Amino acid sequence: MRVAVYAVECYGSWEIRVSLNLTVDRLWWKGEGMGGEGWGGGQADRLVLLSQSLPLGWGVKLREGFRASPAMTLWKKEDWKRYVANCLKAEIRQEQEEGGLREEEWLTARIISGESMLDRTGGGAKEVAISGNYGGQPVFPKESLLGWGGSAALAAAANQLAAVLAGRSLLQGEAEALVAERLPDLAGNWSAAVQLAHLQGRIRIEAAVAYNNREHGGGVLGWVSKVKQSVKETERIGSREQGGGVLGWGRKMKQSGKETGQIGSREQGGGVLGWVSQAKQSVHVLGRVSEAVAGRGVRPRLTVGRFPVVTGRLLHAAALRLPQLHLPRRGAAARRGASRCLRCGSVPTGRTACAACGLAGCAYCEACLALGRSRACALLLRSAPLPAVRCTAGVSPTVAARRWGLSAAQAAAAAAALGFLAEPRERSAPRGPERFLLWAVTGAGKTEITFPLLEAALAAGGRALIATPRRDVVLELAPRLAKAFPADTPAVLYGGSEDRWNASSITLATTHQLLRFNQAFDLVIIDELDAFPYHNDPMLAYAAEQICKPSGSFIFLSATPPAELQRLARSGKLPHARVPVRFHGHPLPVPVHLHMPPLHRCLKQGRLPGSLIRTLQKSLARKAQIFLFVSRIAHIAGLLQLLNRIFPGVPMEGTSSKDPDRAEKVLEFRNCAISLLVTTTILERGVTVPRSDVFILDADSSLFDEAALVQMAGRAGRSKDDPDGHVVFASAEWSKSQRRAISQIRSMNAIAHRQGYL
Amino acid sequence: MNSIMSWIKKARLLIAPSLPQCLFCGKRGRPSSGLPGICVSCHTGIPWIRCPRCQTCGRHVGCPDCSRSREPVPIRCNRSAVAYTSEMRELLGQYKYRGNERLAPILGLMLDKAYTILQQEQSEQQIATLQSNSSRRPFSAAKPNYSLIHPALWQADLLVPVPVSSARLAERGFNQAEQLADVLSLRRGIPQLPLLIRTRHTGKQSFKSRSERLADMKQVFAGNTEQKLLQRLGGHLESIAARLQNRPLQIIIIDDIYTTGSTMRACAEALHRLIGDLGYAAEIYSLTWARS
Repeated sequence: MRVAVYAVECYGSWEIRVSLNLTVDRLWWKGEGMGGEGWGGGQADRLVLLSQSLPLGWGVKLREGFRASPAMTLWKKEDWKRYVANCLKAEIRQEQEEGGLREEEWLTARIISGESMLDRTGGGAKEVAISGNYGGQPVFPKESLLGWGGSAALAAAANQLAAVLAGRSLLQGEAEALVAERLPDLAGNWSAAVQLAHLQGRIRIEAAVAYNNREHGGGVLGWVSKVKQSVKETERIGSREQGGGVLGWGRKMKQSGKETGQIGSREQGGGVLGWVSQAKQSVHVLGRVSEAVAGRGVRPRLTVGRFPVVTGRLLHAAALRLPQLHLPRRGAAARRGASRCLRCGSVPTGRTACAACGLAGCAYCEACLALGRSRACALLLRSAPLPAVRCTAGVSPTVAARRWGLSAAQAAAAAAALGFLAEPRERSAPRGPERFLLWAVTGAGKTEITFPLLEAALAAGGRALIATPRRDVVLELAPRLAKAFPADTPAVLYGGSEDRWNASSITLATTHQLLRFNQAFDLVIIDELDAFPYHNDPMLAYAAEQICKPSGSFIFLSATPPAELQRLARSGKLPHARVPVRFHGHPLPVPVHLHMPPLHRCLKQGRLPGSLIRTLQKSLARKAQIFLFVSRIAHIAGLLQLLNRIFPGVPMEGTSSKDPDRAEKVLEFRNCAISLLVTTTILERGVTVPRSDVFILDADSSLFDEAALVQMAGRAGRSKDDPDGHVVFASAEWSKSQRRAISQIRSMNAIAHRQGYL
Repeated sequence: MNSIMSWIKKARLLIAPSLPQCLFCGKRGRPSSGLPGICVSCHTGIPWIRCPRCQTCGRHVGCPDCSRSREPVPIRCNRSAVAYTSEMRELLGQYKYRGNERLAPILGLMLDKAYTILQQEQSEQQIATLQSNSSRRPFSAAKPNYSLIHPALWQADLLVPVPVSSARLAERGFNQAEQLADVLSLRRGIPQLPLLIRTRHTGKQSFKSRSERLADMKQVFAGNTEQKLLQRLGGHLESIAARLQNRPLQIIIIDDIYTTGSTMRACAEALHRLIGDLGYAAEIYSLTWARS
């Protein structure tokens, strides 16, 4: 889309803003006669229209890359034109290469104007009437706030809009759908309300693909190595330097004035990095002074308050005096300096002509296409960060344990997690949300452990999210949550779910839905951390980082945490709690190894080794449900044929990710209509079958890592009635992952024994 | 032993050429020779319409619609590249609604195959009519009929994409029919002109029944009367004036999908009016990527 862009001088400092509806901006900055609630009080000294219609991406670039200069008060039309052309040099050149308009055309086509709209310097307000005939379209229609019942009605609409958008990060289409469902009165006329909320500092207007220069956090999920993090940080600060200009330097200045001694010692830690931590620290210092500074999209001087105005002036003055610092960017950091999809964090790889903004080369992100296209001119609406709460309910852990019927091991873990949530953050939070790992064995009852945590968050008035990789789990969990928290109906989000736009204090979502939130939650519980979508998908890791408020908390649930997190937990850097025993208090079944030739050879020869047949026979004899895991989908059919010959009359089926009837087959298996199910790793998680034995063929396959083996072994012996199922690893080789899986299971059993849970 | 094998595997990965990612299924697979960027298994799965059952609308199955209504049709015939199966629906959705514009060149190439079929059919018809004409005339050995021995391949004179409304264009960022026509225009050297405009915004066609669509489509399209465009059209018509001596102007309307043909008929009617106003006769064909 295209937006209007203008520069405004208020209390002696300049800034550039984008507008979806200039009428609202004009009334806001004019400041006279309004005075009503929600209309601020800011009177602008000058207002210069830079462009009436510019591609959104360019407008945002102008806004973010703005550097104030004291000479701006004297600037004439041509100076502003030159400034804009200079700022957008790279964009215009690229556009020319793509075959779009040339620079002269941009300047002469009355696209970039520099016309003064409001000038109050000579005492009275000289409002220059550009209305009427500007580029064929009236800039300021005479009847202000067309279609609204006046300023008060618009302020009320902005209030409602800001409320429904709280914590969201939505593209224009999604925002329109949300408005249509939740605020049908606003539909089709929402841009004025958005603009007012934006001026109030409650909604941020972003281009979906842009220079990502004020994101918080980094590596929350933990597997981003330290080095990478610091590179990221450096780059981010660097770009803030380029982008935020004024504020970035103000921080540096403030900091150096306060803690010079400390900086000296920190800088020994290594040039640039030392500086980073120092800048970071300063964010905190200032953050406490005024929340607005920490990249809210609201410049402090614009808020109605008194104090921030002073801060803003101070910062501004500092920026004028200090020299510019350019951090060198090389390699990966330089690449990261490229624009990013703000929603998923990927670098946009597509670039096409776009009818919405009129550019010949408008970049778009191909990584998150499935959620609606995010492109350089697409409007991304984000709410300003919500105030955070500490999840300290007065519930004692023992009371909570009793209420939720937790076992001793579960209660101990829940108590540890509650303690973590309650502990004050200032001491231990250098950046972003805190993390806590809940390492609970398969079948430990992780969901129940999270109930007291959710309760604590809700009691404190916070918002909680449970993210789980799979839709089936969401659907299974929803009624349990609704029963546990009858007062707060959870919003259940998955692809195509009904309550897409419902807001609730508990949100239950599949991973991809996280992309639609931004700093929305105080407590984020991530289930099955090591499972498919997060593992090796930087997009979802990025999404997960984005959703938590900076002072919120992450709880990771996993039976098999990734090696990096295990290491952090062991070294004491990651607070964690282990639940080494299942809810029924019996030890985990330890897998037994069985030697067999590779499965493909067995299938070729048409026979299975006698030892395997005997063990299978034993399991069938004890009327167990048998999971038979194989490494390849191609083996399923052949193996089924072979097994049918060996065990005639035993009901058996095979299923895989390609099987459309998978859900029915699993259901039949659970209902004992099928007693042997040949499958692949797709059933390694989340399936609970009462009386089951597990056989893993080709357990030495590279497709089965330690985590997968532990998860598959975890399918056995989950019920109280049959706590010790059998687990068999059948393979030609005794591989490392098998050894480690067994030792992990054994060590968990040993810990459980030591702590007396068995 | 295991570690050696894994090392060998990794070393082989270093040497082996990496397979390109298929644009349809996203997996890495052997590239097909027919369409660039598509893996072999996706390529073999494309439900091409090689011999249409209905000669009018190019449907691959029997077509009650064309035999039902006896009213004169403003289009000579329609040809489509593929049958609109669920896989193809998914593919078109990826392109049109999700905005994966990387698919445009491939869909355009697929449309090009339909053009080849149309071209062959029309050429054969031409030869047949020529032959029947010449057989009626007395055979003259001195002047062999040149056009009979080397018949020129049938060739369209102009491509016209079906327009989308401005609201939809702003939302989507592109007109799929125009992008498809662009590919065809580049490959075949036939100019593409946006001669039609949409006068009002109709809701999504895919939510409507046949009768609703037919009623809805009346007067939706109009000829584009932009002066610059008409000048370009005039220039083009002059350049091919020699060809237009003994046959009408051959125009192909391009769209992504042909369902009931109501869009095509409305477009063709508007186009007939526009070309008629300019004093030419037009013969209108339509080419779509899919036929449902």
